[in-house]
Amino acid sequence: MSHDHDHDDHDHDHDHGDGHVHPAAPMVEEITDFEVLEIAVCELAIEKGLFTAEDHRRFTEWAEQIGPAAGSRLVAKAWTDPAYKARVLSDPVGACKEIGIDWAEPTGSGTPSDYMNLRVLEDTPTLHHVIVCTLCSCYPRPLLGHSPYWYRSPNYRRRLIRWPRQVLAEFGLVLPPEVEVRVEDSNQKCRFMVLPVRPEGTDGWTEEQLAEIVTRDTMIGVALPRPGRTADDVRPVHKARRPVPHEGGAEAHP
Amino acid sequence: MTASAASLDDAPAPVLQELRADEHAWANIAPRYGVTNPEPPWKVSLTATLECLSAGETLPSLERRHIEDRLGETIFRDLSGAELQLVTLAQILLKRGVLSEQDLAERLRAVRARLEAE
Repeated sequence: MSHDHDHDDHDHDHDHGDGHVHPAAPMVEEITDFEVLEIAVCELAIEKGLFTAEDHRRFTEWAEQIGPAAGSRLVAKAWTDPAYKARVLSDPVGACKEIGIDWAEPTGSGTPSDYMNLRVLEDTPTLHHVIVCTLCSCYPRPLLGHSPYWYRSPNYRRRLIRWPRQVLAEFGLVLPPEVEVRVEDSNQKCRFMVLPVRPEGTDGWTEEQLAEIVTRDTMIGVALPRPGRTADDVRPVHKARRPVPHEGGAEAHP
Repeated sequence: MTASAASLDDAPAPVLQELRADEHAWANIAPRYGVTNPEPPWKVSLTATLECLSAGETLPSLERRHIEDRLGETIFRDLSGAELQLVTLAQILLKRGVLSEQDLAERLRAVRARLEAE
């Protein structure tokens, strides 16, 4: 296919052949030092034989296609199919394969960072799970894609275990006292994801409709699914801090 | 702290000190163009590079993440996200002699020239 673009006179609108002209998404129109550094390091590593261009291509293709939509499908199917839900809980890696997610990709034995040992944590009306990796940033990438930045931040990792309700409240999730909060710390041998409770008001919904409200954050456990909530909130990044007691015993909040 | 760790913490490699961190960090540059993708487009390739290095045992993921945590609170405290991952990787490879300062500096010039070619 030839590309005959005049880049000096290019309005970035694309005709997709359906008679409609769609404006292209905006792009960063300059080359950053980090983009240049990433290419330079990769090229030098390949030239020094640390890995091959083919290795890099395979991992790139894998990294491009993972995302939280897989986890959303799994949860929606589990909500509508009790037999599938039982398999999700008893054999999560096998249940993933049923929806087209193979934890063995892209090498045949997974990636060095994704151990093929998954546990799905089922929430109930009185038990809420939330996942973290205090050690580093272990995350069920084949199901949820790349972890959000805040999940990797020392702020989240260091504080969630000690002050789970406070951290969840910072995400806007305030749970009543009668709901037990259980924090599951990922480790080098096991990955976790949360199977949230199917919310009220979703009777008769299709799997596709249900999957739309199962966002990434609901499978980490920092949000709850509900009708009408189809996207996670953007979170500002806070530097690590510790609550500082002051007069009156209340904690300081930024 | 081991000698290797002390050397990593010492100071950013000179070639990395020339990066325009504030101006070119994705969190700062993307909004200027109205781009809402939370990650820079080169992040996927970086992820592949990190996985390859871990698979080949040049740089295990856990070791790299611990160094990233440390440097992110010391010499690279002004970086975060993908930029911190990338610069930590470059710092490790340079300080351990896997890459040389001269090779990297020359390659940076060559890559930029290639990307900016008319």
